[in-house]
Amino acid sequence: MNKNIGVYVCECGPNIPERIDIDKVVKELSSLNEVKTVKKHSLLCSNDGKKFLKEEIEKEELSHVVVAACSPKDHENTFMKVCEEAGMNPYLFQLVNIREQCAWMIPDKEEATSKALKYIKAGIHRVMYHDPLEKKELEIKVDVLVIGGGISGIEASLSLAGPNRKVHLVEKTDSLGGMAGKLSQILPHQGSKIKLVKEKIEQAKNNENINIYTSSEVKEVRGFLGNFEAVIQSNQENEEGKVEEIKAGAVVVATGFDLYDLKENPAYGYGENENIVSALEFEDMINSEKIELKNGKKPKSVALVHCAGRKEKGYCSKVCCLYNLKFAHYLKDNLPDVEVKELYMDLCLPHKQDQSYFDQAKEKGVEFIRMDEIVKTKKSGDKIEVEYKNNDKTDKLSVDMVVIAPAMIPSKDTSELAELMNLPLDKSGFFKELHEMLDPVATPMEGVYITGCALGPRNIPESMTQSHATSGKILSSLIPGRKVKPEVKVSEIKEDLCTGCQTCLSVCFYGAISYDPFKGVSVVNEAICRGCGSCVGSCPSGAIRSKHFTYYQLYQEVMEALR
Amino acid sequence: MEKKFKPNIVGFLCNWCSYAGADLAGSSKTDVDSSLSVIRVMCSSRVNSNLVLSSLLWGSDGVLVAGCHPGDCHYEQGNYYARRRFALLKKITEVLNLEPDRIQLSWISASEGKRYAEVVNKFADDISKLGPNPITSNPKV
Amino acid sequence: MKNQNVLVIGSGVAGMEASLVLADAGLKVHLVEKDSLIGGQTIKFEEVYPNMECATCMLAPKQQEVLQHDNITLYLLSEVKKTEGSLGEFKVQIEKKARYVSLINCIGCGACYDPCPVSLDNEFEEGMSQKKAIYVACPGALPNAPAIDPENCVRLNGKKKDCNACEEACGFDAIDFTEKDETVNLDVGAIIVATGFDQFDVSSLPEFGYGKHPNVYTAMEFERLYAQNGPTSGKLTLREDKPIKSAGIIHCMGREEKGYCSGVCCMYSMKFAHFIKDKAPEAKIHEFHTDLCIPGKSHQKFYDGLKNKIEFTRYEDIEVKGKNGNLEISYTNNGKKNSIKPDMVILSPAMVPSAGTENLAKILGISQDSMGFFSTQDQNLSPIDSEKEGIFVIGCAEGPKDIPESVSQAEAAAGRVLSFLQ
Repeated sequence: MNKNIGVYVCECGPNIPERIDIDKVVKELSSLNEVKTVKKHSLLCSNDGKKFLKEEIEKEELSHVVVAACSPKDHENTFMKVCEEAGMNPYLFQLVNIREQCAWMIPDKEEATSKALKYIKAGIHRVMYHDPLEKKELEIKVDVLVIGGGISGIEASLSLAGPNRKVHLVEKTDSLGGMAGKLSQILPHQGSKIKLVKEKIEQAKNNENINIYTSSEVKEVRGFLGNFEAVIQSNQENEEGKVEEIKAGAVVVATGFDLYDLKENPAYGYGENENIVSALEFEDMINSEKIELKNGKKPKSVALVHCAGRKEKGYCSKVCCLYNLKFAHYLKDNLPDVEVKELYMDLCLPHKQDQSYFDQAKEKGVEFIRMDEIVKTKKSGDKIEVEYKNNDKTDKLSVDMVVIAPAMIPSKDTSELAELMNLPLDKSGFFKELHEMLDPVATPMEGVYITGCALGPRNIPESMTQSHATSGKILSSLIPGRKVKPEVKVSEIKEDLCTGCQTCLSVCFYGAISYDPFKGVSVVNEAICRGCGSCVGSCPSGAIRSKHFTYYQLYQEVMEALR
Repeated sequence: MEKKFKPNIVGFLCNWCSYAGADLAGSSKTDVDSSLSVIRVMCSSRVNSNLVLSSLLWGSDGVLVAGCHPGDCHYEQGNYYARRRFALLKKITEVLNLEPDRIQLSWISASEGKRYAEVVNKFADDISKLGPNPITSNPKV
Repeated sequence: MKNQNVLVIGSGVAGMEASLVLADAGLKVHLVEKDSLIGGQTIKFEEVYPNMECATCMLAPKQQEVLQHDNITLYLLSEVKKTEGSLGEFKVQIEKKARYVSLINCIGCGACYDPCPVSLDNEFEEGMSQKKAIYVACPGALPNAPAIDPENCVRLNGKKKDCNACEEACGFDAIDFTEKDETVNLDVGAIIVATGFDQFDVSSLPEFGYGKHPNVYTAMEFERLYAQNGPTSGKLTLREDKPIKSAGIIHCMGREEKGYCSGVCCMYSMKFAHFIKDKAPEAKIHEFHTDLCIPGKSHQKFYDGLKNKIEFTRYEDIEVKGKNGNLEISYTNNGKKNSIKPDMVILSPAMVPSAGTENLAKILGISQDSMGFFSTQDQNLSPIDSEKEGIFVIGCAEGPKDIPESVSQAEAAAGRVLSFLQ
C-alpha cells in the first residue's frame, strides 16, 4: 500500500509554542521523504481543528495520520473518530504527546524542541508499521446460567428472567432456598417479610422464564461473554447421570457458603454435650418454637458465643453479631426470665440500624461480656461452664445452654468450581472479585459474575443487592439483538513460532489462552483477551504479538529515541 | 571544555499508572530530565526481555520500565510478571558486562507526578555517572 | 417504563458506576453534580484499603469514561430543584449554575490561576491550601477545566468590575463572564440518588481539641495531607513543618452522638497507621478504638499485618488535652487511666448524611430515617428502593458503607432500572 502520511502539529494555543519552536519542527519534518504533508494548527481538538483535520485527510488522500498534541488520555479518541469519519482506518493514526510530556516538563526551549522532534519522528515511523485493525462483532445469546439456588441465585434469576431472556437455575440439593431458607426469621430491623425466602422460591417456580434444575450439578462451562456452553448433570434418583447441554450468554455463580466445623477446636466443646448447640441448630429450635434443654426443661440461662472460628480463619464473618442479637431478642421475648450472656470479641455492627438493635437488646437485660478467646467449654453438674480469657485474665461463667456462632467459610465445592471455570480464589478461599473495589461482582472471565456469600461473608440485604448488581451488569452487556464488540488491540499467536510450552496460559489472568493439543500450539480467544500483553512479555519463542503494540512498532520508537 | 555527557534513556511506561503519572508531572509543570524518551505500553508486563536488551544493545545508556504499584495493576498481576522478569534481566546485564544499574524497574502511580519526576531525574543522574553505554561507546565490542 | 432516560444525582463512585452501566445499556443518563468536578469523596484518597490501591489510578479511567460517554450528559455545578411524577414519567427541573469557563474551549492549561488577584481557602483540601477565585479543586481534577467562584471573583461580585486578569491570560477564549445560570427541564423514567456523605463535625466535641490545637486533624484532612496531589504534595508533616514522631488515632468520633457505627472508620484509621509507618517507619503509632469493626474476608488480615507494628488500645473514655502546643491523650482502658503524648492526633469521625439530604428528600418526596439518611423501603426485599417506585438510593446516601458496597448498590440500581425495561 502506498503510504500517504500526514503530520499535524497542534499548538494548543500558547501552550506548546511557549516551549517548542513549532516552525522549526514543521520545517524539519517537511524534509522527511516518508511524509506527504506537515502542517500546524492552533487548536486541533476544537471544532475548527477537527474540521480542518478531516478536510486535510480527504484532500491529501492520507492513509496514515500523526498528530502531535496532548496526551492520548485527552484526545486519542477524539482524533481517531475524526480519522474514521474521514474514511480512514482509525488505527492508522498515532497521537504524539508533545504537551504534557515535552512542552510542560522540559524548561529549555531548544531541548524541548529537539525532544518533540524525536517523539514525532518516532510516531511517524511507528505509524508506518500500524495495521488497519478491524472491530469485530459477535452474535450473542442473552440467556443466563445461574449456579446455586440460595437466596442470591434466586434473586438474580428473578431479576434477569424476562420475555426475551431465559434463566437456567441449577441447584445441587433437592430444593431451593439455601442457607437463608433454614433461618427462623430474618433480622426484624432489616425487613418486614418473615417469609421472604419462601415467597421468592414460589416466584421462581412460577416464573415461566426460569428453568429450575434441582439435584443437579454443572459439570462443564466453556466459552466467553455472549457465548457460553454448559453441561448440567442431574443427580436425581430416577434420572441419575442424565446430562443436558445448554447455551447462555452469561453465568452467575451463587454457590453460597458453609459453616466452620466447630469440632475443629475442642475449646468450644461442641459435640461433647447436647446442650451445646450451633447457631444453625438454634435456628431450628426457634423454627419449631421449642427452646428446650435435652431434659425437656426450658433453659434459665443461655450463653451466646460469638466469633467461633474467627481467629482460626483469620477474618470476621460480619453477620454473627447480628444474628446473635436476634437470638437474644427472641430469648428475652419468649422466655422472660432467661438470663442471656453474649460472649464477643468485637461487636461488629456496621450498618446504620444495627446499633439501635443492640441498644434494645441491652435494654432487655442481655449481658455483653468481652473476651479474647474461649478456653474451655465443658459440662459441670447440670450446667455448662464456659471458660474464657479477657485481657490475659481467665474468667468463667455457668449456664444451662450454650449457642455457638461459627464463622462462614467457602462452600465445599468452591475450589472445584473455580477450577472448572478457571476462576481465581482469594486468600480465604472464596471467589475473588475482578476488582475488590470497583468491580465487586465481576470475575476475570468476562460474562461470569459472582454474587452473595460465594464472594465472602455478607448478610442477606447485601447478597440481594449483589444479585441485582450482577443483573445490572448482564442486562447492560447482553441486549437482545445487539452484538458484542470485543477489544481490538489483542494478542495473537503465530502458530509456526509457537513451541507449545504453554507459559502464556499460566500468565493470562483472563483465561483467554488455551492449548490446542492437536496442533501443539497455544491459541488466543480474541473475545476474551484484554490486550495487556503479559503473554507477549513471557513468550520465550517470540511467537506472540500484541496488536498495536508490536515489536516492530515499539522498535521504531526505541530507534528514534536513540538516534 | 568537554561537553557534559547527556545520556540517552528509553523509558517504557504502562498506560494506566506510570504514563498517567508522567502526564500529571507535565500538567503540574514539573521539570523532568529530557534524557528519557517515553514509550507507552499497555502494561509493564508487555515489556519482554528482548525489548530491554535490544535497547541496550542498540546503544541506550539506560532503560527504565515503570508500572503500577504492586497490587494496583490494571490487569491484576502484570506488574508482578514484570518484576520477576527484571530479576532475571539484572543477571543478564552482568553477563553482557553491563552495569545492572543501567536498567531499572519502578512503580509510579497516576497520582505521583512528583515521584515520576524524581525517579526520572535520579535515574538520568545515575546513568550520567555511569557514563556512556560501553557496548556502543567501545567500537571493539 | 418506556422513557429511556435516567437521572442520576451525584457523581461519586456510586453515581458514576450507575451511570456507566445504564449508559452502556443504551439508556440516556443525565448525571447531576453539585461540584465543578466529578469523582466525589473517593478521589480525595491517595490509597484505599485493604489493598492500598491508588484511588486516582483506579478512578481516572472511570471518570474519563463518564466524561466521554455518548449516552451521559453531565450537569456540573447543578442541583435538582423540583421533581414530580412517578416511575416512567418523572419531570425534573435542574438548576445549572454558570461555570464562567467554557468546557469546550478550555484545555486545562492553568494559565489563568496565577493572574487572579483573589486567594481563598480551598475547601476541597479541607482549607489546608489556597485557591484562586478561578480554580480547579486539585491537580488532576476531572474535567480538567477550572470554574470561577462568582461570590469571590472581584469581577463577578462587583468589587472590581474591570478585572479581567484570567480572561487576558486565557489563550483559548474560554472565559465567559456573561454566562448565566440555567434551568434545565428533563423527562426521565427513573431517578438514582447517590449524594454521598459528610463527615461528622468533630469541633462539636470540645474534649478532643479540634480547631484549638493545630496538630489535631480530622480523617479527611489527613487523607489530603497524605495525598500526592494534596496541599503538601504528599509530605507528611505537622502543621509547623516538622516530621511526625508519634501519632494517636482515635476511632468512633461521633458514634455515640449519632447512634450508629459507620463501619469503615476502623479500616481507614488503620490505613493511616500504615501510611505513617510507610513514610516515617520510626514513628510510634497508637490506635484507640472501641470495638474493632473489620468485617469481611480480607479486612482482618490488614489488622493482623499491623498488630505488631503499632499499639492498639481499647478505650472506655478518652480525651485530648493540649498545653503550649504539646498534645496529650488521656484514656481509660479496662478501668485504668493512662496517657500518651503524641505529636499528632487524628480523629476518625462518623459518616453523616450529606448537607443537602433534607432538602433533596423533600424535593423527591421521599423520607429520611431517624439518622437523617434517605430511608429505603425494606432492607431485605430491596435495600436500595426508596418508598417511591422508580427512585433508588445508593451508596452512602443510604447509610455509611465502603466502596465495594457502594459500587454493588450502583450496579444493583442499574439492574433494577434495566429489569423494569425488560
